Amino acid sequence: MNYARFLTAVSAARKPSPIRILTELQQRSPPSLISLAGGAPNPNTFPFQSASIKVKNGQTVSFDEAAMKRALQYSASNGIPELLTWMKNLQKNLHNPPTASYTSENGQMDMCVTTGSQEGLCKVFEMLVNPGDNVLLDAPTYSGTLAALQPLGCNLINVPSDQHGMIPAALKEVLSRWDPSEVHKPGSTAPKVLYTIPNGGNPTGASMTTQRKKEVYELARQYDMLIIEDDPYYFLQFDKPWAPTFLSMDVDGRIIRTDSFSKILSSGLRIGFVTGPKPLVDRVVLHIQASTMHTSTFTQLMVSQLLHSWGQEGFLQHIDRYVTGCTAICALTGLTAEWHSPSAGMFLWIKLKGIADTQQLIMQKALEKEVLLVPGGVFMINSSDPCPYVRAAFSLSTPEQIDEAFRRLSSLIKEAL
Amino acid sequence: MNYARFLTAVSAARKPSPIRILTELQQRSPPSLISLAGGAPNPNTFPFQSASIKVKNGQTVSFDEAAMKRALQYSASNGIPELLTWMKNLQKNLHNPPTASYTSENGQMDMCVTTGSQEGLCKVFEMLVNPGDNVLLDAPTYSGTLAALQPLGCNLINVPSDQHGMIPAALKEVLSRWDPSEVHKPGSTAPKVLYTIPNGGNPTGASMTTQRKKEVYELARQYDMLIIEDDPYYFLQFDKPWAPTFLSMDVDGRIIRTDSFSKILSSGLRIGFVTGPKPLVDRVVLHIQASTMHTSTFTQPLLQRCMKQSLSSHRVIEFYRGQRDAMISSADKWLKDVAEWHSPSAGMFLWIKLKGIADTQQLIMQKALEKEVLLVPGGVFMINSSDPCPYVRAAFSLSTPEQIDEAFRRLSSLIKEAL
Repeated sequence: MNYARFLTAVSAARKPSPIRILTELQQRSPPSLISLAGGAPNPNTFPFQSASIKVKNGQTVSFDEAAMKRALQYSASNGIPELLTWMKNLQKNLHNPPTASYTSENGQMDMCVTTGSQEGLCKVFEMLVNPGDNVLLDAPTYSGTLAALQPLGCNLINVPSDQHGMIPAALKEVLSRWDPSEVHKPGSTAPKVLYTIPNGGNPTGASMTTQRKKEVYELARQYDMLIIEDDPYYFLQFDKPWAPTFLSMDVDGRIIRTDSFSKILSSGLRIGFVTGPKPLVDRVVLHIQASTMHTSTFTQLMVSQLLHSWGQEGFLQHIDRYVTGCTAICALTGLTAEWHSPSAGMFLWIKLKGIADTQQLIMQKALEKEVLLVPGGVFMINSSDPCPYVRAAFSLSTPEQIDEAFRRLSSLIKEAL
Repeated sequence: MNYARFLTAVSAARKPSPIRILTELQQRSPPSLISLAGGAPNPNTFPFQSASIKVKNGQTVSFDEAAMKRALQYSASNGIPELLTWMKNLQKNLHNPPTASYTSENGQMDMCVTTGSQEGLCKVFEMLVNPGDNVLLDAPTYSGTLAALQPLGCNLINVPSDQHGMIPAALKEVLSRWDPSEVHKPGSTAPKVLYTIPNGGNPTGASMTTQRKKEVYELARQYDMLIIEDDPYYFLQFDKPWAPTFLSMDVDGRIIRTDSFSKILSSGLRIGFVTGPKPLVDRVVLHIQASTMHTSTFTQPLLQRCMKQSLSSHRVIEFYRGQRDAMISSADKWLKDVAEWHSPSAGMFLWIKLKGIADTQQLIMQKALEKEVLLVPGGVFMINSSDPCPYVRAAFSLSTPEQIDEAFRRLSSLIKEAL
């Protein structure tokens, strides 16, 4: 694949740090070499000495003095090696990506650690999207994605979707505006980027079927588009077997995937991953090198030690334990509303019958009734379009609170009609 | 000040998260309100339970179960409130910024936490710099800044400097190309941004005098420029009293300052701060909201509990001062005939000019390895890295005095052979 055609000018202009080359030289040299080259501070002057983190299963993650010094010092921009290795093995086991065995120019699977998968997403968008570009996505979608994309001045084109995610026939229709044989011509306005959340979408809770993914992939091949597979709820799928991912069918090296540990390990630590073709991951890493420099070494070591002690099996067991707790919510009766039960994630997307726009209802009346939900408009490409939906999260409230909340919502709707 | 004229189109287009408004509503409501609005995961499912971090002075920083739950959950994009409050008080104490008492539109001092001060710098550049813009800085400068700026397609204009930093007369000369009364005209190419590292510059070790800062500030006023004061070695100044900062003289609200704890608390934790006029800090926070979302909620309290002590301890400064003295002493011993340098009053670097060598790139990349000594060829800190440069940068942070001495012996031998 020709990856250069996807890059913005800014991304293409990024260069590796020349000092990094010196670090590599040092690492390849005998210990008798004395380097006064590295600009790192002396970790002996840092006040933290050691750490002990208790894990719920009785284990402990420990940093002795040597580990602590490492945890407090600069590290590689793409991530610490042992965490990257663990994650690459996980990806190979879960998705068996065709690209794992490719050469670099052909899109060899590569990975980097990011400060939350949102940092990865933002840097991927900033790598690919120019003002005026057409970008495809299925709205309603995650408001954080809209916040990252909209300022870039692109033209967000909606692809219709339903409870099974993006509709391939609708995508085909949207794309029919362009001639596939002309997408590489200079000045072509054909979209180069398609974004979707394939499992437990935020806010819709929708999950794509394997068949639909295959059809969408085929269309991406025809029009030579990259697909951004944003999958933070992948590990929150309620039923086995888990759906095959775009990454698992990526014979061309056109999938950039973001994974998150925010929903299963910690949201506040800020740790996520980008998986994609090496030429593109390299660009993201160069941007990281100039901004955050790397995700906190301390955080990576903490998570890495935990993951190594669990192994992949222990990791998947932890997920099982968490996920079985979440399925209780969907017994909604008496609500004058429609919804589809999500098979993954944390959200229920509810259409209120007879209400054209939920914005006013929520922002004014709901407070009086002491119940808060998110008005659906915030997830639309155009947030001022009237939207009859609300998003309810089932992550934080008890079943009793959820029940009471829906009773209040039901009363609210009835009064409004 | 009119801050809107400084923003790129992308920065100006950023909008606050609509969901954030719901969070604020929830916080203002009685506990009987039930919210199904927040999209946060349930922290009871996270595997980490508690933490205990030993500090070298004998203390322990502990996270009990409740503190750990908070540390593992999403938090505000501008930083956790107690850390921000602490830092704002620190800035007021150290710099007494005039802007601390201004209204928001007039550039009230505001702050945010960033994932390293480099994240702050990068987001400030991305907020302000359009392709084709003229940006002023004094090269040689920090290579990370060049890496963040160059891809933005701006035109980096060098302002000459010496061992006391940027030279105001030289800045005046550079600026004389433009008419100060025309800088606000549409299509004006006058620079809007000036960047400098005022203490212990990387790589030069230069520190600006107060007088020079005042003159540079005056020129920034004349041409209505913003000054980015990048000050990661502020806390590594070897002599007291510490120099007044640009922030301390900022009557207009045109200073954006980045502070770092990388050199005194931890580089790997990734924590830094932006201080500046609220309208500009707000833009940076909106970008953070769309990218990292916030600096790790675990890291922030960890750092905060150690900060007060670290800042009042002299041990770190004593260590680096001792290291500097050792390096200068070895330089005097081995390099007197073959090189020139100025002793730095802050930071971690010595900037050495090798006499009779036009360009150190080859010398280092080929010969130095044979002699088993590594230093950074000065070209990497230049706006144009392929220009010949007779300097090398030596760090005195990590090596022992014995290693430094041996390294300079090897360097001396290397230079003599090359001549």
